[in-house]
Amino acid sequence: MNRLARLARAADWTGWLGAAIVVVMIGAALLAPLVAPYDPVAISIEHRLSAPDAAHWLGTDQAGRDVLSRIIHGARASLAVGIGAVIIGALLGVSAGLFAAYKGGLGDQITMRIVDGVASIPLLVWAIAIVGILGVGPVTIGSLQFPNEVKIVTLVGCLFSPVFARVTYAVARRIVGADYVKARYLQGASHWQIALGEVLPNCLSPIIVQATLLVAIGIVIEASISFVGLGVQPPQPSWGTMLSDARNALYSGEWWLPVFPGIAISVTVIGFNLLGDAVRDLFDPRNEARTLVA
Amino acid sequence: MSGPILALRGVTKSYPQGGLLDRLLGRASNFVALDDVTLQIARGDVVGIVGESGSGKSTLASLAVGLTRPTTGEILLDGEPLAALMRDHAGPWRRRIQMVFQDSGSALNPRKTIARCLAQTLALRGVPRATREDESMALLALVGLGSEMAPRLPHELSGGQRQRVGLARALAMKPDILIADEPVSSLDVSLQAQVINLLSRLTRELGLTLLFISHDLAVVRTLCTRIIVMRKGRIVEEGPCLDVLARPAHPYTQLLISSVPKGIAGRRAPAAAAASATSSVG
Repeated sequence: MNRLARLARAADWTGWLGAAIVVVMIGAALLAPLVAPYDPVAISIEHRLSAPDAAHWLGTDQAGRDVLSRIIHGARASLAVGIGAVIIGALLGVSAGLFAAYKGGLGDQITMRIVDGVASIPLLVWAIAIVGILGVGPVTIGSLQFPNEVKIVTLVGCLFSPVFARVTYAVARRIVGADYVKARYLQGASHWQIALGEVLPNCLSPIIVQATLLVAIGIVIEASISFVGLGVQPPQPSWGTMLSDARNALYSGEWWLPVFPGIAISVTVIGFNLLGDAVRDLFDPRNEARTLVA
Repeated sequence: MSGPILALRGVTKSYPQGGLLDRLLGRASNFVALDDVTLQIARGDVVGIVGESGSGKSTLASLAVGLTRPTTGEILLDGEPLAALMRDHAGPWRRRIQMVFQDSGSALNPRKTIARCLAQTLALRGVPRATREDESMALLALVGLGSEMAPRLPHELSGGQRQRVGLARALAMKPDILIADEPVSSLDVSLQAQVINLLSRLTRELGLTLLFISHDLAVVRTLCTRIIVMRKGRIVEEGPCLDVLARPAHPYTQLLISSVPKGIAGRRAPAAAAASATSSVG
């Protein structure tokens, strides 16, 4: 509660705008069946390519599907890939960076060279290649079946992990040398207590800023992969596939087909970036001074 | 109760210099931070360790608490080798030797309130949850801070207040030996005097053995009973504080004393004069 109260005081209007965008987008994704005015995959040939009007606020596409409903449902794929990949990337990368910085010596060298190795693999190209080879069908592991997006989330997560590892490492290296870490060691605190209780909390703000930026990049990557047809499969909507389908409309004048999914991507990306800035301020223990000035 | 509480026997600490290539080519040399140091600290002693920067004072401190390990030689804590004790990282020996750090800015976790910092320290000593808060307040009172400090974060405190919290945190472990590595050098002179007087009072009241590392002779003479003068990793002179300062035998000690502004080294300065002595040096 204390944190929230401080957020309320510390964040300026850009932070609130970012938070509002993110909340609206996540809300739309979660509640898509309730808030979308039409079925996103319902074909209605008689209404095809109708311009925005009172019935279809953002118009309809080549198959007469409602663009607004498809954007709302498409938010699910975009946010799932963006947020999912960041969670996977952060878990892998932060653990690696924290371990390397805390351990030092040979463990540091080995871990960070593995990170360099992962970073040197053009994973986005690999992701496309792997999905291209394996096909876009669902993944079956044991008795569990996962949709195609799981492949993309995992691969983009691996793609993000070196970024998290390096950010964490750079900050944690400095924190590990601080006297309060030494003091905790001298009290007989365990390595887990020191690494998770002293070092990690002081690395969080750049990690969180990085995370929000990468959610935005993840959304763009999902759109790109779906654009080339290897992500979300038709007829399921995604912002990337919608843009891909709208290519022809660029020449025939149905401007609403590319513009609205494009706006959805841009606004969401901007929203996460603004939120990231605000959260960084929140996690700065010295933000009290800022509030007083403001 | 017999025997020294802390002893160093032929302790050398050297750091390899040069990169991997130098080491492979056999060109690497070692930087010797501490060179064959033997010393004994008796229980209840207040020992000042003085010397210029790079003389090995701080290395001595981090070796004594077990932050680094000696290259050769042995450190004995109450007769037991530190190397053997350190196999049990969180053993009961830990609480016996604690440290106060030089930089008050980095000594406290910026994200933890003072209360939390002290409570977590007490938890590691095994103080039950119910009494931690009371004991934290008692510790703050001991170092002359009010309970209104407890909910604050380190950046809301002054340097002197932070240094007192650092001292309270060390005392929370109920140490027998306290090592203070230049605890006042980052403070301005009026705060220096406060912290010195506090240390002086606490060592007497709690019967602490204090290793006080400083480059400030005036501070050492007001606080310490014994003095160890170090230079280039070696002990050049040691003895009762007032004797050494009045009749320095080693030319380096003479140099140190002569480089202090006039009127300090020769003055008979009891603890009460700490304020004036430190301020005239600062």
